Amino acid sequence: MPRNGKLARISLVVAAAAAVAAVAVVTAGAASARSTAGTINGAGSTFVAPLVNKWMGPVQSNLGIQLNYSAVGSTAGVQDISTKQSDFGASDAPLSQFPQFQCPCVQIPWALAATAVVYNLGGSLQHLNLTGPVLAQIYLGKITKWNAGAIKKLNKGRALPDEKITVVHRLDGSGTTYNFTDYLSHVSHAWSSGPGTGTSVTWPVGLSGNHSSGVSALVHSNPGAIGYVDVDYAIVNHLQIMKMKNKSGHYVLPRAAGIKAAAQLDTHPAKDGSLSIVNPPASKKYRNAYPICTYTYVDVQKSSGAATGDLKKLIGWAITKGQSFGPPIVFEPLPKAVVTFDKKQLKKIHS
Amino acid sequence: MSAADLSLLRRPNDRLRRRRVVNRGMELLAWLAAALAVFFLGIVVWSVARKGASQLSLDLFTKSQPIGQFGTGSEKLGLANAFIGTLVIVGIATAIALPFGILIAIYVNEFAGKRIKNVVSLTLDVLAGVPAIVIGFFVYVLIVVGHGQSGYAAGFALSVLMLPLVSRSTIEVLALVPDSLREAALGVGAPRWRTTLGIVLPQTIGGVLTGATLAVARIAGETAPVLLVCSLVGQGNNWNPAQPLMTVPLAIFELSDQADAPEQALAWAGALVLILFILCTSLLARWLATRSRRKIAQADR
Amino acid sequence: MTSLDVSTDAARRPFSGRRVRLGDLLLQGAAAIAALGALVLVILIVWKVIQGARLSLSTFGLGFLTHVVWDPVHFKFGAASFLYGTAITSVGALILATPIAIGAALFLSELAPAGIRGPVTALVETLAAIPSVVIGLWGILVLAPFLRDHVDPALHSTLGFIPLFGPATYGSNVFTAIVVLTIMILPIIASISRELFLAVPTELKEGALGLGMTRWEMIRGVVFPYTRGGVAAAMILGLGRAIGEAIAVSMVIGGALGISINIFQPGQTLAGQIAGQFTSSTSALFTASLLYLALILLVFSIVVNLVAQFIVRRSARHVGSAR
Repeated sequence: MPRNGKLARISLVVAAAAAVAAVAVVTAGAASARSTAGTINGAGSTFVAPLVNKWMGPVQSNLGIQLNYSAVGSTAGVQDISTKQSDFGASDAPLSQFPQFQCPCVQIPWALAATAVVYNLGGSLQHLNLTGPVLAQIYLGKITKWNAGAIKKLNKGRALPDEKITVVHRLDGSGTTYNFTDYLSHVSHAWSSGPGTGTSVTWPVGLSGNHSSGVSALVHSNPGAIGYVDVDYAIVNHLQIMKMKNKSGHYVLPRAAGIKAAAQLDTHPAKDGSLSIVNPPASKKYRNAYPICTYTYVDVQKSSGAATGDLKKLIGWAITKGQSFGPPIVFEPLPKAVVTFDKKQLKKIHS
Repeated sequence: MSAADLSLLRRPNDRLRRRRVVNRGMELLAWLAAALAVFFLGIVVWSVARKGASQLSLDLFTKSQPIGQFGTGSEKLGLANAFIGTLVIVGIATAIALPFGILIAIYVNEFAGKRIKNVVSLTLDVLAGVPAIVIGFFVYVLIVVGHGQSGYAAGFALSVLMLPLVSRSTIEVLALVPDSLREAALGVGAPRWRTTLGIVLPQTIGGVLTGATLAVARIAGETAPVLLVCSLVGQGNNWNPAQPLMTVPLAIFELSDQADAPEQALAWAGALVLILFILCTSLLARWLATRSRRKIAQADR
Repeated sequence: MTSLDVSTDAARRPFSGRRVRLGDLLLQGAAAIAALGALVLVILIVWKVIQGARLSLSTFGLGFLTHVVWDPVHFKFGAASFLYGTAITSVGALILATPIAIGAALFLSELAPAGIRGPVTALVETLAAIPSVVIGLWGILVLAPFLRDHVDPALHSTLGFIPLFGPATYGSNVFTAIVVLTIMILPIIASISRELFLAVPTELKEGALGLGMTRWEMIRGVVFPYTRGGVAAAMILGLGRAIGEAIAVSMVIGGALGISINIFQPGQTLAGQIAGQFTSSTSALFTASLLYLALILLVFSIVVNLVAQFIVRRSARHVGSAR
């Protein structure tokens, strides 16, 4: 059996080598800390991901911090930070939405943007008009065609096709969903008493996509589709964006001016740091307000161990200098009052 | 002779012709069925090859695409972290499942009585039938809750999937080793453990490796358990299994619902590499199997 | 396949009464622990899943199985929608895959010229090796648009009087999932059937041909009855595979709640819901409900497995007695 023996011996050598390699990997891994000095790991909202992405370079060069971010959705992000799997979690929904995760965390609103209602109809039908109640009816499955009377009334003179509306929403736990359903609950009694507000709700009709990217992809590939995504996703993926009617009676696009106007609604965060600026009331101040805007939060453990110093530096920079990276991707700089509040929140973090 | 046969004699041509036509028809359907099966394979592989080939470059293996990272024009477009993560996690799974599986096979084939043999074989079959996502959930509840996700958890989950595959194939090849060999070793006074480990097992190395290779090919492509226990992947770390690692199937899964073309192309490229890897390991397994079959045939003579 | 055809019984081997050596004890001990470990593992899996689902079990009881609801905001969960989705996709896939698989198996065992037999068999088995995520990727980016634009409307316009083929607008729907699952379980049924067909004793087959039967009649009269049990078991194994498939299905089925007879509507299966909603859990009840779904899946898969085993054992007995 010499050939058998040879094969057996070779296998043994390979196995031994693999074992040695495995031991090396494990010991090296055990030796290194979760985040080496100068590295911050975060996870969460896809909504804020474009802005965080823009921060990575400047944070590296100005603060010497390597910022790593996984856009896995708000719920997963909060889950992560509650189990200390990451240094911070990012979520568009306030922590009160996640009672299951007992997170002894500080909540800091660190960015401000809007949720766009996107759709896919022929090229000439850009910037259609829509109201909140009609949008709710669509998502409730009560309005099923693009040329329904209710939609035609809002868009006189536009040639709406006789096409079925393919409703797209999100399956994963999402702060964007929270913002969107929060708005629908405000404008539609049928919605608030039905599916309600949450990061994950029961959708009466439609298809589900994963993350904002999944929703964008589904809207992009299904003619007649309608969905909701962070406004920057809509722009980058060349999706058509709806003009939403605010309470003052104007049809507004989710642009800087609209977000800025809406932000005036609430500039003093609650004790836990949350703010709601959805559906501002009718008044001159909110004439140009876009009704589906939201703050997005960074959640940090009150005692953050070794990463505390870097975290404070990072967030301190993000809420001040970092805001200047926002406008090109339709994130509006934080109002002064919010920044003041945030600085006070930062003090609550210690190692 | 029955009435049916008589009728055959009476009108041979019409009836026979009809039966022949039916026969021809059925043969045609069988040809079509086989062609359809091959067609499905062809169309999937062709789609993957066509769309993934354009992304095959050194970059694919050296750069890393962070999960869900928004960024057209993002500088890094590659799956290096996924390849490394898969290697590490599959390595851990194999390191757990292989010795475990071989020991189970040894017990079943060398030591167990008929009743225990049936129980263990039933256990292995039940284990093999548990859906991968349930195993993922099991590992999640067992390890991840409270301690967080990690590459180890993924390795463990995949080893649970591998175990019945390795065990069953090892049992089969162990059974092929003739008893005469064991008795001959007994006859010269070799202790049982020596017989089993030094004489019987080496005879089956080829078959064991075949089974192990096939099992590796199978779990390298598993997404469900990894999704549940090792999906919150950061960007800094590639190979430390104490933290979550990116794996190729998970990368494909995450990239598949991206709207922009470069990331979709990356998904196709990952799929292409995965398919190539599985094809190569299957070929390797097949080669090992023929080799060991030949050897056992020699030994029998 | 499933049963172990071990020819000699290890316990019969002449080792009793010998002096017990340390090495023997160690090896037997280690091996026994490993075997016990496998048993413990299975029990542990069942126990942990039940434990994880306990909150949902106690909150909803068996009513969970009949409620069509999945409302995380109001803490109401039910599996009925996904049970229906699992049933219709798996059964649909089985209906589509079985004739193709058996046809291919017949081709490979009876009809194929010697040169093609090997390569085509290898090709069919390679289809089984393609990971589900790759098939899902192909499904969502290639198959779904193709079906949505060319196949679904055609089926609806010709067979639309059957409620099964209702109006078709979505690319991601139950039908796409059925096609994907068909592709995945086809090679399983085909390769097992092929081996079964090859195992039919040649005397029986040639005897039938000698009597003047055509090949098809021989297959129908000899091969099918002989392999009936095994093929049934193969089908059940394929069904089990389809039931447990999470990834490929979740990518193409559209993730919608509700029970609809129209297969061109999006839907969701048990496994797909777990895969899709796993990271979304916002409450302990949510997670427990997902584990309840996993428990249902676990029970299904064990039952399916045992049934397949039972059938194999029964048919083996019959075949044995026929000789």
